[in-house]
Amino acid sequence: MQRLSILIVTLALFSVTLSAQERGAAPGAAGPPPAGRGRAAGPGYPKFFDSNASFNARDIAGIWTPNGAGFGGGGRCRDCGDRGYSFEFPVFTPAGQKAFDANIPSYGRAKDSADAKAHPEEHIGRRRAQPPALGNDTYGTCNPMGMPRAVLYPDPVELIVLPDRILQHFQWGYGLRTIWMDGRKLPAPDDIDIPRWWGYAVGRWDGDTLVVDSTGYDERTWVDYFGYPHSDQMVLQERYTRINYDTIELKMTLTDPKYYAKPWVGETKRMHLLPKTFIQSSGWTGLLEDLCAPANELEFNRVIRDPAGTGKPPAPGGRR
Amino acid sequence: MTTRRKQTAVLIGLAMAMWAPPTARAHHGSFISYDREKQWTAEATVTEFRYINPHVQLFFDVKDKQGKVTHYNGEMLPNPAQLIASGWSRKRAATALAAGTVVTVTALPAKAGGNVVLVTRVVNEKGEELLGAGPLPANPQAPPGAKP
Repeated sequence: MQRLSILIVTLALFSVTLSAQERGAAPGAAGPPPAGRGRAAGPGYPKFFDSNASFNARDIAGIWTPNGAGFGGGGRCRDCGDRGYSFEFPVFTPAGQKAFDANIPSYGRAKDSADAKAHPEEHIGRRRAQPPALGNDTYGTCNPMGMPRAVLYPDPVELIVLPDRILQHFQWGYGLRTIWMDGRKLPAPDDIDIPRWWGYAVGRWDGDTLVVDSTGYDERTWVDYFGYPHSDQMVLQERYTRINYDTIELKMTLTDPKYYAKPWVGETKRMHLLPKTFIQSSGWTGLLEDLCAPANELEFNRVIRDPAGTGKPPAPGGRR
Repeated sequence: MTTRRKQTAVLIGLAMAMWAPPTARAHHGSFISYDREKQWTAEATVTEFRYINPHVQLFFDVKDKQGKVTHYNGEMLPNPAQLIASGWSRKRAATALAAGTVVTVTALPAKAGGNVVLVTRVVNEKGEELLGAGPLPANPQAPPGAKP
């Protein structure tokens, strides 16, 4: 065990000297994984379970992660897809194009950089990043991420299955989303009186696939980290399928006739099962309370984010 | 699962956490604010360390050859969750980076100028790397979803 420990840590230390490109070019896992930044070897995620073990496809309770290290940084695992909604180029309506242009994300290749110009095969949404201080991501002040963005973040989600609903408890942001399974009908977008950051969602089983339809999202949330917009007309369909013992596959389709001229299909995502005791801190197991707390975030923005993006000294204030 | 297999899995998880490219660690995309072509390394004295979301922060002083002291606000890419995953508890990290500790800091300046930097590496006087930060990959600006 000791020798194995030394070997693993040595490999990890050695690997940080490899370039991202070298890592990305490494051989992938068996099967055709969705695109995502890869690991050099192994399954690409902490492997605790036999994928071929028998399972009940409708038993999805547990902690699932798209994170290559399980949780806490490390990015998305090789077969989990990336943190963008899709590699497919969206087709905007004029209103959608205007909304897209108004959003200023900080993920992706730097706007107008040589790097951005060298990748015309990527939609411009992935090539227009600006420093967060100059952006307008509402998550930059800890507003809820909403969907589908929350499910794209590389951290675990606990699926809590109750008789009449399924709760998605996201570790990052400690967000909670309710999927109602009691047979209620989803309201039409025009019938939504009060939009929600986490939307209105209903679920049903279609064979062994959990189909979740949702709408009524606050328009200030983004579809993903690259700042793709949605309107109050967005209807999102998620199809979750437990494809083996430790993997759930997620397929999504976004329909939003106000902003998108045709339904926009998401990249297939995956997440993997974690033991309930995997996430630990302070001798305590279970999801971390990984809140985006305004008290932390606003101070970070004051002393780090804003000066870094503007070159100006931190604004007056202080940590409380 | 046996205890030994659990330990092995945790070690693999730890190794994979250390593998992560900086852009994948940051949830703000704040890496883009810094100039990776102007990385510098200097001896520094820690004035404050914050083990806090959204990213841990290191505040420090650097004295130049003329004795002039410049204060820096340093962003670090890990957040507490990542440090927990890689074995850097709050107590361990705070002890290693207590105010007054002399360290060698490697940092990227902000593109916009000023005294905010991205701290990419911290080494103590014994030569030990702290918080598991490591050298930057060749192309950290590539989005996490970049295809090979």
